[in-house]
Amino acid sequence: MKDVAILLNGMREAGVIRNYALFGAMAQVRYTEPVSTFDVDFLVDLPDPERMDALGPIYQYCTRLGWKPEGEAVRVGDWPVQFIQAFSVLTREAMEQADEASYEGVPFRVVRPDHLAVIALSVGRLKDHNRVVALLDAGVVDREALERLAARHGLTEKWASFKRRFLDE
Amino acid sequence: MSDAPAELARQAAWQKARRDLPWPEKVRMVLVMRESIAALRRTWPSAPGSTPTGRDQADRGETTK
Repeated sequence: MKDVAILLNGMREAGVIRNYALFGAMAQVRYTEPVSTFDVDFLVDLPDPERMDALGPIYQYCTRLGWKPEGEAVRVGDWPVQFIQAFSVLTREAMEQADEASYEGVPFRVVRPDHLAVIALSVGRLKDHNRVVALLDAGVVDREALERLAARHGLTEKWASFKRRFLDE
Repeated sequence: MSDAPAELARQAAWQKARRDLPWPEKVRMVLVMRESIAALRRTWPSAPGSTPTGRDQADRGETTK
């Protein structure tokens, strides 16, 4: 994972991406018990998002460093890494306001737990709801803060449904 | 007969201990889990998602694109 952190920082310094933040299950692992996942996901901000192969420069950069494409991901050491352009106001905010963490001494931007929970809420499958529950259970987010963040992103109904199903009974 | 409350308290303590591990240690545990799951899936080739590198789009929030 340290190699992954070094790669993303290098990519940003080289101008291949403008910004990044780890999200998904591997970001959750920072805040909760370890959970099963097969890969590592990043939100990225691309300098030229309109170009046909928007992720092309990322793949070229990785290949130059010896990290090879594998399906829709790039294999970096033990991990398939996938890059996802921040695709909504919520994910862009999550990326921009990410924690400046450290992984074995290497700076590493990680989506905050409240954004992670609300992104999961926006998806809304059982496994996503499990993520929200795990983050609440770990005490790294609180209900009121999530409710406010969800409301700000037009997810009041989804929050209410989640709350009825998982918190009120 | 087992002492259920004590068992549950021990389980909760163990879960909390895992939660409080350093992040790199938890990542190493994820790697071990991944390899164990892949090994189990190889014994059941028709299992949904039996390809370990298969992407899970919803996990990344892509359904909201």
